[in-house]
Amino acid sequence: MNEQSLTLLQLNQRIASLMTVPDTQNVWVTAELSDVSARGGHCYMELLQKHPETGATLAKARGVIWANVYSRLSVDFFNATGQQFASGLKVMVRASASMHPVYGMSLVITAVNPEYTMGDLLRRRREILARLEKDGILEMNRQLEWCEVPLRIAVISARGAAGYGDFINQLYNNPSRLNFKTQLFEATMQGDRTPSTIIAALDEIAKHQDEWDGVVIIRGGGATSDLEAFENYDLAAHIAQSPLPVIVGIGHERDITVLDYVANMRVKTPTAAAEWLINRGDVALEYLRSMGASILQLVSDRIAGCNEQLSRYEALLPTAPLTALERETSRLRGDMMSLAQIGARCITPELARLDHIMKSIASATDVVLRRRSDRLESLQEMLNALSPEATLRRGYSITRVGGKAVTDASQIPAGTLIETTLANGTIISETK
Amino acid sequence: MANELQFKPVKEMTYTEAVSELESILQMMQGDKCDIDRLTDYTRRATELLTECRSRLTTTDEQLRSILAQLEK
Repeated sequence: MNEQSLTLLQLNQRIASLMTVPDTQNVWVTAELSDVSARGGHCYMELLQKHPETGATLAKARGVIWANVYSRLSVDFFNATGQQFASGLKVMVRASASMHPVYGMSLVITAVNPEYTMGDLLRRRREILARLEKDGILEMNRQLEWCEVPLRIAVISARGAAGYGDFINQLYNNPSRLNFKTQLFEATMQGDRTPSTIIAALDEIAKHQDEWDGVVIIRGGGATSDLEAFENYDLAAHIAQSPLPVIVGIGHERDITVLDYVANMRVKTPTAAAEWLINRGDVALEYLRSMGASILQLVSDRIAGCNEQLSRYEALLPTAPLTALERETSRLRGDMMSLAQIGARCITPELARLDHIMKSIASATDVVLRRRSDRLESLQEMLNALSPEATLRRGYSITRVGGKAVTDASQIPAGTLIETTLANGTIISETK
Repeated sequence: MANELQFKPVKEMTYTEAVSELESILQMMQGDKCDIDRLTDYTRRATELLTECRSRLTTTDEQLRSILAQLEK
């Protein structure tokens, strides 16, 4: 048996030459970043493939981006995604397998496709948002009302961070001297511990929620722009359910994290958060000022009005009695005239009526009288026909004794004077 | 005036209560229902409320210095 052995270097070189074939060179590959670190301008990382459900590692490889590539790539990647090339991201990179006799196999990355990362981020964000919505908490913080003038602000940030300093400076140097009260609740604002430390700070604030009007979460500042840590369901859920309205100022203008969807308000910078709060106070102060001015105006108007009224009365005082007398006199005169008019108005028709009645009476009397006189005339005629004169004229006579008519001759004794009336004249004779 | 108007001490009021009382005083004055005899009382009350509200919102130099000193620690 020809027992020929290779040195390790020879084997590794053989592996290297077998490995370095077109199939392993400049291949686009998708992976998740882990343990990303930059040393000497180069960027080292682990590339992982995890099981989509269990999260178990299915494949792993060391990756490196050499400084000459990384300086440009990191900038391009950040510009396109708003993300630092950092752990936790899903990336699509162009890699070439390479074998180093000492360090073993690694994938040398020469290009990255930021669109893949963006798509993945957006998909994950959508998933988180959908879950928040399903849990019915997505809008909870957004629906909270701020108190009239929020002055007591709990700040979640990292101590000594530029963003926190900016916020505090802006807030306390406000020209209106608004009486802000702040307290820093420290949290780690980058890396894996971000969600848990912010949640702890939120819980601490919620314990004394009556002491605060609102919460401001601002980034520690510095150059890092690792927003990946904020794309977290638990953190978003805590912010959504915070009993106090939350302002987040963790991104830059372009960057949006899932927190921007759940917080009561999102601002671009810590300074903008301070400005918003100052503006609320200034609006309240202005309202007070305008109310003060209105009250002053109303009171002086009222007093001026009363004074004017008084002086008008004062001016009236000397002439008022005379005027009153005149007014009374003319009123009396008026009354008198009215009275006369009323009299005339009432009496005239009455007179006319009387007149009419009188005329009616006269004519009625006439008629009656005429009728009566006609009747009298006819009676007269009848009477004339029946009268003793008419009988006398026909040759009859009336015999009277002592003025009484005699109808029975036996009743008259002899020697009585009797009076005989004829149609013309009277004869007096004596009986025998 | 026979009976003094009864007002709640401003220190015991919330900012919102104080502002709504100010608004109602203002409304009453605008509505011309304000009794001239009470005008002084209401004006004094409004001033008191305004002063209190302002002092709740704003801070004195002294307070401000002490806050900033604390922050610098």
